Amino acid sequence: MTELLQAVILGLLIGGVYALMASGLTLVFGVMNIINVAQGAFLIFVAMVTWWLWKHTGIDPILASVITTPMMFGLGWVLYRTVIVRIRGSSPSMSVLLTFGLALTIEGVLNLTAGNKFKSATPSYFEESFRVGSIALPKAQVYGFVAAILVLGALYVVLTRTWTGRAIRASAQNPSGAALVGVGATSTAALAFALGASTSGVGGSILSVLYPFFPASHYDWISRLLGIIVLGGMGSLPGALVGALVLGLAETLTATYGSLRWATLVFYVVILAVLLFRPQGLFGTRLREDAVA
Amino acid sequence: MTDQMSHPASPEPARLRPTRRARRWSALVVTGVAGALLLAACGGSESPSGGGSTSASNGKPVTIGISLPLTGDFSQPGGEAKRGYQVWAGMVNAKGGLLGRKITLKIVDDASNQDTVVADYTKLITQDKVDLVMGTFSSLLNFPASAVAEKNGYAFVEPAGGAPKMFARGFKYLFFAQPATAPHQADVFVDYIKSLSASDRPKTAAYPTQDDPFTRPVIESMQKQLEALGVKTVFSGVYPADTTNFQTIANTLKNKKPDLIAQGAVFEDGVGLVRSLKQLGYTPKALFQTSAPSNAGQYSDGIGAANTEGVFYTVSWNEQAKTPLNPEFVAAYAKAYKAAVPAEDAADAFAAAQVVQAAVEGTKSFDQTKIKDWLHSNTVQTILGPLSWSAKGEPQGDFILAQWQSGKVQVVGPKNAATSTSVVYPKPPWS
Repeated sequence: MTELLQAVILGLLIGGVYALMASGLTLVFGVMNIINVAQGAFLIFVAMVTWWLWKHTGIDPILASVITTPMMFGLGWVLYRTVIVRIRGSSPSMSVLLTFGLALTIEGVLNLTAGNKFKSATPSYFEESFRVGSIALPKAQVYGFVAAILVLGALYVVLTRTWTGRAIRASAQNPSGAALVGVGATSTAALAFALGASTSGVGGSILSVLYPFFPASHYDWISRLLGIIVLGGMGSLPGALVGALVLGLAETLTATYGSLRWATLVFYVVILAVLLFRPQGLFGTRLREDAVA
Repeated sequence: MTDQMSHPASPEPARLRPTRRARRWSALVVTGVAGALLLAACGGSESPSGGGSTSASNGKPVTIGISLPLTGDFSQPGGEAKRGYQVWAGMVNAKGGLLGRKITLKIVDDASNQDTVVADYTKLITQDKVDLVMGTFSSLLNFPASAVAEKNGYAFVEPAGGAPKMFARGFKYLFFAQPATAPHQADVFVDYIKSLSASDRPKTAAYPTQDDPFTRPVIESMQKQLEALGVKTVFSGVYPADTTNFQTIANTLKNKKPDLIAQGAVFEDGVGLVRSLKQLGYTPKALFQTSAPSNAGQYSDGIGAANTEGVFYTVSWNEQAKTPLNPEFVAAYAKAYKAAVPAEDAADAFAAAQVVQAAVEGTKSFDQTKIKDWLHSNTVQTILGPLSWSAKGEPQGDFILAQWQSGKVQVVGPKNAATSTSVVYPKPPWS
């Protein structure tokens, strides 16, 4: 019984961390139809910066997201203005190519500057746990889970309660209508992309504490994140959360009661099953274009 | 087909993992290029057979042909192997050379490509008519390269390439210059367990391992040997290479309470399991991991220096090992390369060269048949310890048993290579 409870708790906690990392990806797809394959590389980049800050200034890695979040917001904005803007109006497949190129570039730059070696930030709590009876709650994951809820909540509020958020959603749903009422298409899109990139600020700092990473680690992460948002419904924030929790639980429960070999695979089996019956994902909505296609 | 063979026998995983992943993405490009090169290589593959020069001391330099992956996927170990060979040549030349002749290394780059490596060794042997050849890096490249040498009757001593498939071909000119193939790399640890009194031995053991051609055989063979000793297996499981979450495995282990945890760990998985065991609050009596703990700095940074205490691993070489000529090698390497510590790959190449040197000096000739026969019937002292071979070229020796003690790596077995006489057992609880 303890084993089951522990497995479920570990699964939910790791799911929260996955949700945090997937949030920017699903946001950018939802409002801009851009599949940002570079989101994984953003995470690794932030993890590297966080590690560097922690190593050289002693600043707490999770606290460092106060620095890395605005940094990624700025980087996302500049990237949109200089690179992504050129494929506006093209099909999403074009964005996959472009952002994959970005991911490779980031990986290459990190290889040259930081070296092809494993890094990990190890603040005092990195392998400690809170204990409730005989159940262990690893501290870093608990912080990650809390951060995930905060970040997802903040994104939700920004998108639904602020003028900027409404502008972002408006230009996603009806670009010409939005322009008519005074929403600048390019600046709104740049804002949305920057917002998506900035979520990797917190995600990357949690990653630097939880796992050893090196420049090419982003391949492992992006495939997992894409899986989460496909399951949850591309573009849906609640979907990303639910998709991530399903992934976390599927991994831990399969590893505990099934076979280790299937633990990372079972999630894709779940996706396959969901897509057979709900092609738009759990929380996705079908658009008119989908029906035509 | 080649992925199984793509790692050197004792990879420094931290360096090799990135390339493995990168390959997944660039496989398509590689396939295209490989096709083109295959056509090029086929053109020159028909060649006369026969050994190299047999004259012992005609004053001319001895030319040794080597093709190495200096660029591409294996450029890291390839570059280290080049350094190992060069340090060896420098040391031998400083003492008057090989049978009185100076050594010239002819090292060419095969760009980590199987077809290029075949073309390279064919050219070195049949056109450049080098006196000796030495092996390249990784099973992937040594597999076809050794076939070229076999066909041309050249002794082929390889510093890496321990995949079982290498030795299934019954080659007579192939020699693997590391102490043991994968299934025997943990034997020295099993010997240590045997040396304990029956009451001190672990009663139960758990064997998680990554699905990797160079960790699984080590762990599976250890499991068999320990079961024969009466150690009860309470858990065994194979996890895929992309597993990042080890808390679940740690949770299972905590509930099974094994005395010994022996993990087939490449790198992140080793760090991940130690962290998770600590988070969940379980310390085994002994912890063995295959190669993760050999990445000195990255490993202790990853789990925290205090948590390394008592972790066992086996390795082909250690810079402190008290084997003949090892201190001289480490010093010469440091002198040549800005005080750097040699990588295991450099040491393995140095040892391969030592093997060839011993055979040439033992037979007083460069005759390839004599060299081959000599190696089949003699034991060679190298910086990795004594090496001898089966008829198929498999080494018959032991790896080194190392253990983290007080933040440093100590060699604890076999006795003649040990740097410390005390062994930390049982393992203290996590800090």
